[in-house]
Amino acid sequence: MIPLNDVVGLAAVIFAVGAVGVLVRKNPLVMFMAAEMMWNAAALVFVAYARSFHAMTGQVMAFIIIGTAAAEVGIGLAIIVSVYHHRHRLDIDEVSQLKG
Amino acid sequence: MIGFIILAIVSLVGAFGVIIARQPVHSALFLVLNILSLAVFYILLTAEFLAAAQVIVYAGAIMVLFLFVVTLLTAGKDDREPKETLQDQRFWAGVLAVLMGGGLAVLAVKFPSRSIPLSLPQNFGNLHGMGAILWGPDFIYLAGVALMLLTAAVGVLVLNKPRPASKPKARWEEGES
Repeated sequence: MIPLNDVVGLAAVIFAVGAVGVLVRKNPLVMFMAAEMMWNAAALVFVAYARSFHAMTGQVMAFIIIGTAAAEVGIGLAIIVSVYHHRHRLDIDEVSQLKG
Repeated sequence: MIGFIILAIVSLVGAFGVIIARQPVHSALFLVLNILSLAVFYILLTAEFLAAAQVIVYAGAIMVLFLFVVTLLTAGKDDREPKETLQDQRFWAGVLAVLMGGGLAVLAVKFPSRSIPLSLPQNFGNLHGMGAILWGPDFIYLAGVALMLLTAAVGVLVLNKPRPASKPKARWEEGES
């Protein structure tokens, strides 16, 4: 069995890397991918604790996370494409005013 | 333990590749590497159903969607990173990352949680077990995910609805109504 604490620590590191990606990159697509990585890190923590506590509710939570991520990707990519059609630039500062 | 270290290195290479790669399509491929390594972690943590779902949903559906949009939007375009307008944003992001990631990782490794010494229950994490819990006591979550996905699909359709070409109205028409 692989060590639980190290898995949780690895998930924390992946979460931090994803957060930095959201903060540093300016391409909305790459920011979105980094956000996906943060979702994944959270799901990994849920699965690790489900294994540790022998409770499958953690895996149900990870299932919800995967479903939510799928819905979020659909909506988010639709928004990115729609913004791109208006502005013709992939730059997150194009929408910094939050209005058309 | 050696297997864990190799897997951790692979997933971290994927994670750093996502935020370092210059072209978005390379970021997407690194994200696939990260996701697949996490799927192997799920198998090692006896979550076989979730490993399969991870590969099918993430590495399959979501990444195909990403690659599709990346090729649609960035083909032949200038792929340089736009200039940063906020001052010191990158520096403070690095500081935040080291504090948050390092702090959380140290806390997680320093304070081990107690694990249960019993053997695993039957059908733990495989298709039978997940089906029994998702269609049994936790059915409400399954229904919630289904509703959410339906809402997302309808939302995408509404967002990308072709706008009716607005006819240029003559001025006297506006005044009459």
